Amino acid sequence: MLMISRFLFGPLRPSIEAQRPVLYRIAYAWCHDPALADDLVQETLSKAWTRRAQLRDEAALKAWMVSIMNHCWLDHLRSRRDFEDVEDWQDELESSADTPEASCNREQVIASVRSAVARLPLGQRQVLTLVDLEEFGYAEVAEILDIPVGTVMSRLSRARANLKSLLDTAMQQPTTKPLLRRVK
Amino acid sequence: MNPVVSDETLHAFVDGELDVAESERLIARMRDDKELAQRVCALRSLQTMVRLAYVEPPVADGRTLRAAPRRQFVQRCALVCLAVFVGLIGGWSLRGTESQAVAHAPVVLPGGYQVVSLSHAADPSRVLLHIDSSEPDKMQAVLDQAERLLDAADRQGRVVQLEVLANSRGLDLLRAGHSPYAERMARMKQRHGHNLHWVACGQSIARLKSDGEKVVLLPTTQTAPTAIKEIVTRLQQGWTYVRV
Repeated sequence: MLMISRFLFGPLRPSIEAQRPVLYRIAYAWCHDPALADDLVQETLSKAWTRRAQLRDEAALKAWMVSIMNHCWLDHLRSRRDFEDVEDWQDELESSADTPEASCNREQVIASVRSAVARLPLGQRQVLTLVDLEEFGYAEVAEILDIPVGTVMSRLSRARANLKSLLDTAMQQPTTKPLLRRVK
Repeated sequence: MNPVVSDETLHAFVDGELDVAESERLIARMRDDKELAQRVCALRSLQTMVRLAYVEPPVADGRTLRAAPRRQFVQRCALVCLAVFVGLIGGWSLRGTESQAVAHAPVVLPGGYQVVSLSHAADPSRVLLHIDSSEPDKMQAVLDQAERLLDAADRQGRVVQLEVLANSRGLDLLRAGHSPYAERMARMKQRHGHNLHWVACGQSIARLKSDGEKVVLLPTTQTAPTAIKEIVTRLQQGWTYVRV
């Protein structure tokens, strides 16, 4: 019975639901907005559920769902920004997160890293979070985001260089807030 | 010795994307090249910091993720209710057919067996018995079941089409040299002829073969491409499916 339903309907709901924390972490790292991240995850879960028959290889469930979420995220940005071509701002868009006040050292590091990641251009941010947080291989990331592997590597390289310089500046003046504030 | 190692190569190394030979070459180089070792170390700590930053992402106010387990719980309850309901209905309707058609036969489907059909009315005269376990009890149960159904039909002058489908470990039932019931099955086949079919899952056979096992099926055994496909096809044709 279980086998039939798996064959007919793809992965069962529990295995889709089980991806929720992973998706939420990625979504949050992309947009740095808990409410939006929650919406993205919810939308991804429901899309994954309706399209579950399309997934043939269950081992790829996580990557498949992240790629669905990537589309949801891009759709969201499109509707918000009214951009025609995502490629144009793939390299420039920053998330609008503010720097949270830091109260202790560990939290301060976390806050600095989050705001530095938030300041990375969208494309770099996505590649970096997928590789570092979820340990996806370069080829998987390329498939999820639908970009060439070479682009994954160059974005990752630039993302880490940018992140390092952002953090270096932040760590030098740890208590002053303006450093990582978004400049419009 | 190579000139400066590119950032891309170092990233690939840190992310485990280099092959073993390249990684080893780089590790060997790091022993002598302190600066290179430092670059790798800096990359690793950057990676650790990013990971640390998102171990516990903040949760949206008001609509916490805690809602999920509750929803799951409700879904599970609903699923259990549905399963019980289907079981009751299935059992009840089978009881009906049995009392009408197989009046003298003992219980056709003992409790615990699942009956599924994709068509509106499961046809009790076409039954697919599915076994995927090599437990002798189950093997015996599937044969007992088949014999009971066929004998009952014989007694009443009805025709029952019966197919015993084996996959996974259940395939042993149909393998010469592995099946503990080869003789009994040969007798059954002789007696019921074309009303009884032994069907083996081609995929399970292929899997065993790829593991280096020799697979010889009992005579008169047919092969389906995959067990699942066979089950779905039969269900669509209105067969009654029983998993033993």
